[in-house]
Amino acid sequence: MTEIVRTEGLVKRYDGTLAVAGVDPTVDTGEIFGLVGPNGAGKTTTLRILATLLAPSAGTAEIAGMSVTRNPDQVRRVIGFMPDSFGVYDDMKVWEYLDFFARCYGIAPAARRRVITDLLELVDLAPKRHEYVQTLSRGMQQRLCLAHALVHDPQVLLLDEPASGLDPRARVELRELLRELRAMGKTILISSHILPELEELCTSVAIIDRGQVLAQGRVAEIEKRLRFGAVLRVKLLLDGEALEAARERLAADDDVASAVILDDGTIELGFRGDDEATARLLKETVAAGLPVVSFSRAASDLEELFLQVTAADEPVAAA
Amino acid sequence: MADMTAPVRPSSPPFATVLRAIGGIAAIGVKELRGRMRGRRAFIILTIYLLLLGGFALMVEQIMEQQFQNPFTGASATAGPAIGQAIFAAVLLLMTLQVVFLAPSSTAGAISLEREKQTLELLVTTPISSFAIVIGKLLSALVYVFLLIAASIPLMAVVFVFGGVGPEDIVRGYIVLIVTALGLGSFGILCSSLVKRTTASTAITIFGVLAITIGTVFLLVFWQAMGSFDATGNRRPGPLGIRTPYPLAWINPFLAQADVLCGTESTFGGGWCSVVQGLAPTTDNGVIINNGGGGGVGVPMPMPVPAVPEKGFAPGGAVAIDDQGNPIVNDVVAQPFGARQDTLWPKTVAMWLGISVFFILLSVQAVSPTRRWRFLRRPRRRAKSPESQAP
Repeated sequence: MTEIVRTEGLVKRYDGTLAVAGVDPTVDTGEIFGLVGPNGAGKTTTLRILATLLAPSAGTAEIAGMSVTRNPDQVRRVIGFMPDSFGVYDDMKVWEYLDFFARCYGIAPAARRRVITDLLELVDLAPKRHEYVQTLSRGMQQRLCLAHALVHDPQVLLLDEPASGLDPRARVELRELLRELRAMGKTILISSHILPELEELCTSVAIIDRGQVLAQGRVAEIEKRLRFGAVLRVKLLLDGEALEAARERLAADDDVASAVILDDGTIELGFRGDDEATARLLKETVAAGLPVVSFSRAASDLEELFLQVTAADEPVAAA
Repeated sequence: MADMTAPVRPSSPPFATVLRAIGGIAAIGVKELRGRMRGRRAFIILTIYLLLLGGFALMVEQIMEQQFQNPFTGASATAGPAIGQAIFAAVLLLMTLQVVFLAPSSTAGAISLEREKQTLELLVTTPISSFAIVIGKLLSALVYVFLLIAASIPLMAVVFVFGGVGPEDIVRGYIVLIVTALGLGSFGILCSSLVKRTTASTAITIFGVLAITIGTVFLLVFWQAMGSFDATGNRRPGPLGIRTPYPLAWINPFLAQADVLCGTESTFGGGWCSVVQGLAPTTDNGVIINNGGGGGVGVPMPMPVPAVPEKGFAPGGAVAIDDQGNPIVNDVVAQPFGARQDTLWPKTVAMWLGISVFFILLSVQAVSPTRRWRFLRRPRRRAKSPESQAP
């Protein structure tokens, strides 16, 4: 796969405050790339630089081989941008809204009508074609905004917190829509601080905090590379002091970083070892005569990974 | 790192850029006009406007008729032209008042409203240039003002029934109206692009309009009143030791219309010519010291100065002098007992056209997301080599 978005040492300062401090995410064509981070991490600033809305203080950013600072007009033709907070024009019908943006991209009248019809079908707003935009629900407006970003068939979609303010049903619909867009060959950069939302959707992520990318790649790869290990859950047929004694025995293992008894009596182990070490621990536990009901490895999620990555991070000094 | 396959697009040829700009202006224009002209509201306002303007013209005509029916005050032979001129003056000044407030207030929210509604970012991430956004917003806001101006043309043509006003006078008046709308509309859009909130932008715009219309006249009157006269009767500099800033009069659209109305008066001048010469008594080569005219605006009268009989007088008995106080003798001033007409409005038109261009360029810079104030930036110096930085 080829890289369609490439950044190198992207820095953005606001009056002495460092919003982005040397971000270098690269995105391959056809990926859904998640920018993960807490509020104020620099996700929006990074996306706004890529959307040609902000000039970086230092560093370079290219989309489809074109510099966002030197060729902003050309870049705007290959990106579709959906900001985190956006408004709608009053006194405008749904089809007029899309018609306006299609005109902005210089799409010919005949093609414009076809594009509007197709996009309204895609975002499931065809029945609302002649409704006024301000009468739509938040979720519908969100989908309409996404449709506006697609009006010129861009290669790259930059979506800043697209699911914020949506109810669960609208989130599911948006997720399905984004998968459909990926199937259509679009590259999608999406930012969010709601990690489970990105975990289900993204092919790669960049964990960003205080303006710096702390880790980047596929979730499984990051986990492997950083060797944060896993969480093991051991259920024993014990309680009271016997359970506490079993916890202490497990905690004494070299690969166990932590051992906590949960409310349901399960012992949760922070485990640094690999698969072989896991098998060894299970064998030793059984050999020690502890009545093992279940012994499982908890699936590592993005949220956990994010917490581990950001926990050791030092604050970035302001310039 | 993998190579990216898409090549950098070459820069567009100029005509393609122009076509794209026109397309962008059209896109903005269509969107704005859809909002403004939807439903019956715009046409109801237009109808009410024309009814009010027509009623106003009718009342002026009735007032003038009453005056000329009085055997002690008027002669019926001159009633027609006088009524025509009065209607022309009344309607033209009323339309100027309307343009002066309507044009800037309709553009004062053009950009700031987009910011407030959070739609500007959606707009500037399209390939539409900032220039097209500003021009599209300006023109679509002014289209309605121009529509009101155009709708008044048949009403204005009524003055031809009475006489006293030529077609060229009406054309001059409309030129001033259109350029004023463009200039003050540009001022409104500049405020809108610089100020984030529409309320603040509108307030600043209205304050600016008041400064341009009332403030300039007040300053001129104040400066003239403060200027004293020396033993020879020449006016000394006013406050701050500088001469009366007569160019201030050039930006006042009402004074420009007064100059247009002066054109309908006889060659000996009249009330409107006195107003113009009282507040902006400039010639091509010097300053005319008002010597009896200008009473209409209450400007203090200077001491009489010797006339130049062989070359005649400037309006109101004024004599042109140069910076050293010597009488100016040239063909321009030599209009025996004639009023100097068309001296002010061409300057107003030229000045507002220039100011409009300046305001539009500033607005474009303010709207542009990443290229702001590019022309003010210093060219980047080449990075010094480590050797040259070494002490």
